[in-house]
Amino acid sequence: MKLKLFGAVSVAALVIAGAALAEYPEKEIQGIIQWGAGGSTDAVMRAVTPHAEDILGGKVVMQNMTGGVGAIATKYTMIQPADGYTVLMGAENPMLYKVMGLGKFDYNSDFEPVALLARGVPILVARPDAPYNSFRELVDYMAAHPDEVKFGSTGPGGLPSVVTAMLSAEVDLPATFVPYDGDGPALTALQGGAIDVMPAVLGAALEGIKGGRMKVLTLVDATPNAAIPDVAPITEDFPGYGKYLPWGPFFGVFVKAGTPEEVVTKLSNAYLEGAKAPDFVELLDNRAYLPLNLTGDAAKEYMAKWQSVTSWLVQDAGIAKTSPEEFGIPRP
Amino acid sequence: MHDPSRRLPGERLFSVLMVAASLFLFHTATGISGFAGLAEPGSFPIFVTGVMAITSVVIALRTFRLPHSLEHGWRAIFPGFVILTAILMGFYALALKPVGFLPTSFLFLTLSTWAMMRCALWRAAGFAALSLILVYVVFRLVFSVLMPEGLVPEREILAYIAALFSGGGK
Amino acid sequence: MDFAHFFMSWIDPQLLGLVGLGTFAGIYIGAIPGLSVTMAVSILISFTFGWEMYDALALMIGIYMGGVYGGSRTAILLNIPGAPSAIATALDGYPLAKKGLAGEAIGLSTTMSALGGLVGIAVLGLAAPAVSEFAIRFQPRDYLLLAVLGILLVGSLSGESLIKGVFAGALGLTIGCVGLDPLTAEERFTFGHVELWGGISFVAVMIGLFGVSEALMQLQHIDTPAVKQKISRVIPSWRAVVKFLPLSLQSSAIGVIIGALPGTGGDIAALMAYDHAKRVTRNPKVPFGKGAQEGLVAPETANNAAVGGAFIPMLTLGIPGDSVTAIIIGAMFIHGLNPGPMLMIERPEMFWFILGALVLAVGFMLLFGLTGIRLFVKVVELPRAMLFPLILLLSIIGAFAVNNSLTDVYWMLGFGVLGYFMKLYGYQLGPVILGVILSRLIDDNWRRAIISERESLGGLMHGILTSPLSLTLFLAVLAILFTSTPLWPMLKTRLHRRRPGKDEA
Repeated sequence: MKLKLFGAVSVAALVIAGAALAEYPEKEIQGIIQWGAGGSTDAVMRAVTPHAEDILGGKVVMQNMTGGVGAIATKYTMIQPADGYTVLMGAENPMLYKVMGLGKFDYNSDFEPVALLARGVPILVARPDAPYNSFRELVDYMAAHPDEVKFGSTGPGGLPSVVTAMLSAEVDLPATFVPYDGDGPALTALQGGAIDVMPAVLGAALEGIKGGRMKVLTLVDATPNAAIPDVAPITEDFPGYGKYLPWGPFFGVFVKAGTPEEVVTKLSNAYLEGAKAPDFVELLDNRAYLPLNLTGDAAKEYMAKWQSVTSWLVQDAGIAKTSPEEFGIPRP
Repeated sequence: MHDPSRRLPGERLFSVLMVAASLFLFHTATGISGFAGLAEPGSFPIFVTGVMAITSVVIALRTFRLPHSLEHGWRAIFPGFVILTAILMGFYALALKPVGFLPTSFLFLTLSTWAMMRCALWRAAGFAALSLILVYVVFRLVFSVLMPEGLVPEREILAYIAALFSGGGK
Repeated sequence: MDFAHFFMSWIDPQLLGLVGLGTFAGIYIGAIPGLSVTMAVSILISFTFGWEMYDALALMIGIYMGGVYGGSRTAILLNIPGAPSAIATALDGYPLAKKGLAGEAIGLSTTMSALGGLVGIAVLGLAAPAVSEFAIRFQPRDYLLLAVLGILLVGSLSGESLIKGVFAGALGLTIGCVGLDPLTAEERFTFGHVELWGGISFVAVMIGLFGVSEALMQLQHIDTPAVKQKISRVIPSWRAVVKFLPLSLQSSAIGVIIGALPGTGGDIAALMAYDHAKRVTRNPKVPFGKGAQEGLVAPETANNAAVGGAFIPMLTLGIPGDSVTAIIIGAMFIHGLNPGPMLMIERPEMFWFILGALVLAVGFMLLFGLTGIRLFVKVVELPRAMLFPLILLLSIIGAFAVNNSLTDVYWMLGFGVLGYFMKLYGYQLGPVILGVILSRLIDDNWRRAIISERESLGGLMHGILTSPLSLTLFLAVLAILFTSTPLWPMLKTRLHRRRPGKDEA
């Protein structure tokens, strides 16, 4: 084995010499997952990648690199060579780094989208015995009992904080905001009665809703959703929200800007094709994620719109560190 | 082995360093969010670094009052091997990224085993290579932990070996 | 018939083999300081992607059960806990090995782990819905009180000097604060470095403090020959098992509850059980910290009982009980299952299958645990010069592997050196790691509790005194504060001021 290894080193020199001609991928690809094992980004990426590998004819070794709301993984990918052998598997967060003061980079300026795979749908849930059954009733209840409702929240820039910013852009929300470190722990607290209301992604709350452990107050989307057919979208009662929607967290695969075009195309095809696999479609369906399947300019456009809506929402809510204006992000 | 009624060489210095570190951390903690309220992000850090500061001062004062330990000299506290290993580890940490995991670890294992076992260099190198192969198989191949590659193009080599096998299989 | 799935993994040879293989691998994964069950299970998600779900689950369950137990191996033999849940095991396990009783210690820990594991599974099978209802009712103030109860263990982990223990505990709590604050994203102790945003990895600290510093410490005596191990009696006698039965049942109860609480796991359970054993054992044959068998029995039953506990909220509500069950939930999603409150109603057979596989894994754990002892204790008899370079190497890779970050390696080495000096100068390292484990639990829940009461301390006290659960925990905190710390003796000397009292803590 040892001899083989040393022998292989000299062989490798030959291999490298021929690398320019070899076809991508001619070695393992490193897939950096921005979020921890067991999370939704992790589950989506680990489910789609085996299908993409088959089409690609190569191996993608996935690693979780957590911390700093995904900034550590994003920065790591940015310092690797732009050769397509390091791909970033992430969620929407980097599109907010600039205004949240977490970095001067985002997907559109420093990365090339390989594939935007899916997006989540935000909802507002409450504990089942709460004395309100819709967003309208909640607003009325809050007006009558200011600061009494315990509203779950997460760090600024996280999905719940953006949804809260969006909701309070149109109505007054006098509540006590109790901070949690993610929507998972917050939804657990909701079921234990520690908080009353929580913005969340539909997929994370779906099983709890089906089991009667929590109830949906409203669907923060412009169109009804097949997973919860009897809940009306928020725009029915409050058409004012229409200008922000559709909005939701998204998952995508990215490579560093400057990666050769044919490599990006090859990866894109593999991931978009892989995302059509029946078991992946079923996984998205089970978790109530809507497929996006965007790449290239369409993906960039989608993300630019997302960034503009979200950046100005957090700016107007007063939780942004730097105004989007400084980065030339237009107001929607 | 530590006798609480005697002071070891370096113990005074260590206790002073701990005081300095605690005070520095306390200062940093007060800068997080100030003394604005009970539930600020800085409240808990201020409290715990405050405890560190107070206890470290008490420990330092007590240490200074203790008589010297007569049995232990500097040699007993820092035997040659400990210093050697610490230096080797320091070099290891510095070389890991530029040189890569395989050569650095091989050198580290060979040198430390050779120095400590007082055996022939080739035996130490053999032992190092054997352990490294085991470690590599478990961590890199089974658990896919990608240590820094540095000078050795591991992924190309693995792809080449894989190609050999798949080519041979067909 | 759903219950029939209980025996599915027992009858099907492939599933049987996978549970066995998983348990075997788990023991070694747990024993090696650099490999963790969390890591192994997350890699298995991709690895088993194309498999049948039952096969994948069988393997993961085996690894989980085996891994929690495996950490005790290196804790006993080398004083280096292979996994966080084995930190308490080293306290009395290693002194036993130093006396040449490693075989006996491993035998006892294996039997007790199996017993704890079975109790955990029994509670899961018989009372899962009730326990999970109880567990999710824990409010932020209850978590706060529980964490305070935990931090009071500093009292029993401090060794010769309480004040050094308090310093070490506060240091650990501070280390736990480093990084972006998870609740507000405020930077704490990051000094502007992005690498510090994610905080200092707990595993890197653990490997540094317990792996590297211990290796350096033992290099001091590199030439002293290793202790010859007696391996005549490995399986503990019935009398010993019966003698420890009350203690192991109490520790199992601690393990199941702490395991079932979302956000706390086997590491805290084992430390709390150790402290409990220290308090209830009136006259140990050997003092704690010098090789008391009770100090081995309690953490080992508790951490394996926590496995069954962690499955309780996961199977009944889809809420993970610890980091490993969080990943298993992810795996179940990928395999088309939807863990949540409906799982028990829609797919009750899954519940029975998991239960059966867990029992089977305990069986394999006993089998592999008791048969491999002779080989395992040979590890301690290896020359130190061969062993320690390898341990240092494993420590480095292990620290790197947690989050694929070189920064963690530097932290690990730094804490290794700091730990060496701390040990040298009479500081115990247990309180440091305890602080790191509990830091977030205390900080987050303190803030949640006080914010929920609109920043009023009176409101918080009112909440504590009116809820039976909070009140019980509060009284427990008070009781321990008075019985296990010098507060009570100090008060007593104050009262009898005439008599000259020693002020040395």
